[in-house]
Amino acid sequence: MSRIIFLIKEAFVSLRRNLLIVVGAILAVFVSLLLAFGALVVNEILRVNTLAWQEGVHVISFLKDEGESGVPTDAHAVLLADVRSWDETLKAFYVSKSEAWIEYQELFAGQEELLDIDPTILPASIRIELVDISLHNSVRFRLEQRQDVVRKVTTAANSIEQLQVLSNFLNVFGIGLAIVLGLAAVVLIANTIRLAIYARRDEVSIMKLVGASNWFIRVPFLFEGMIEGVVGAALAVFAVWIGSTNLARAGEGFALFRLDVGQEWFFRWGLLFLVFGAAAGVIGSLLGLSRYLRDADGTGPEVPTGF
Amino acid sequence: MIRLENVTKVYEGGTIAANDVSIDIQKGEFVFLVGASGSGKSTLIRLMLREEPVTRGKIYIAGKDIATLPRWKIPYLRRSVGTVFQDYKLLPNKTVAENVAFALEVLGRPRSVIVPQVEQVLELVDLADKAPRYPRQLSGGEQQRVSVARSFVNRPPIVLCDEPTGNLDPKTSVGIMKLLDRINRTGTTIIMATHDHAIVDAMKRRVVALDDGKVTRDDETGGYEKAVE
Repeated sequence: MSRIIFLIKEAFVSLRRNLLIVVGAILAVFVSLLLAFGALVVNEILRVNTLAWQEGVHVISFLKDEGESGVPTDAHAVLLADVRSWDETLKAFYVSKSEAWIEYQELFAGQEELLDIDPTILPASIRIELVDISLHNSVRFRLEQRQDVVRKVTTAANSIEQLQVLSNFLNVFGIGLAIVLGLAAVVLIANTIRLAIYARRDEVSIMKLVGASNWFIRVPFLFEGMIEGVVGAALAVFAVWIGSTNLARAGEGFALFRLDVGQEWFFRWGLLFLVFGAAAGVIGSLLGLSRYLRDADGTGPEVPTGF
Repeated sequence: MIRLENVTKVYEGGTIAANDVSIDIQKGEFVFLVGASGSGKSTLIRLMLREEPVTRGKIYIAGKDIATLPRWKIPYLRRSVGTVFQDYKLLPNKTVAENVAFALEVLGRPRSVIVPQVEQVLELVDLADKAPRYPRQLSGGEQQRVSVARSFVNRPPIVLCDEPTGNLDPKTSVGIMKLLDRINRTGTTIIMATHDHAIVDAMKRRVVALDDGKVTRDDETGGYEKAVE
């Protein structure tokens, strides 16, 4: 127990005495994880928006007027009942001619020239929300078979699918970028720790001469790396959180695009990044130390000096 | 206690630093390794610490061949061998007391043991009042006394010294030698590489002379000049 306390104390003393190198390591972690976490937040914003856009009506089937061109007077109700019974349908509702006119008026409110039309030309329609957006072709096909009552079928699915493809690409790209930047953080920490060890190589060799094991030398460096990693990661998470909160506030007026990320998401991923920062610090320290400690064992390259 | 059997050390490039060296050192002996620069004194010290592997031959310390010691056991060897070097090898960021205590920290001794033991050994080297100072605040002689204190604080059976008086004036050197002599009288085996004529002549202890990596003379109570001739 006293040995662990000693080693932790050693780490803090070393952090204090090598402040410049420590600040360098923290900045290295901060910059790498800031970019990685930023990429994840952008990715999350895209995901949330894609999901939002996928909600609502996917397919609209405009209908022929009942009682005209041989369309039975109950054709709309029959088709609606049919559509509701399909497996692909999550929800379906009917918009009558008069409701269509009200909707039209709301849509073009204040544009008198567009409102000056004959309301009877607006068709009734069935609005369908699908269980899965990829089923839109099948639904469109089934509706188009009902030429007796269906006038035209339109679907928003094509554009949503394209958006989904784009979102998937950005998702992979964002996660890939986060991974690359995370690895860069490990390499940066490893190099910084290696610099720290190089600056203290005499100290390390003296420790070995006195009989310190590799782990005895390593542990304070691992603590150092872990602390640098956690502090760097915490600063990165905090900076991204500040940026994201301000972005969300600035984007409050946009109806079509959400710029806010849930606090729960932030907490979960922020915590994960802190763990990653700590792990990156420890791995970086291990990598930075391994070569030097191997050489210092007397089994590395032989240097003929002063025999 | 220590036996070197036909030890040869050849560095990369073919430089032979030790050539078929065989020495047998008993417990409690005080042995000088003498010779000109490049004769192989420091190499033998480094080989005995397993700082470098031997090319051929065997080195037994307390009956164990250290040449075949696995890497993870090397720290255990070094904990049983105290070391004193010409350049003191003190940790610059630690105080005198912390430097001495470090040799006990690596052994995992509790604070209750470390504190009195460090105080005791600092008394022995007459540096108790300088315990809170850093090495840079001490003279060369004082730094070497700290180094001696650290080498002896865990009471190792062997102390290896590589030119411990090399950076010191004659008067200070005498002080260090008196300390080493006191330690030797406790039964600790001391092996000291040096080219300090006066010390070797004054101490009248066993002298092993080296030249080009070969043992040229091994005297029970020799002098320096006679030894290197």
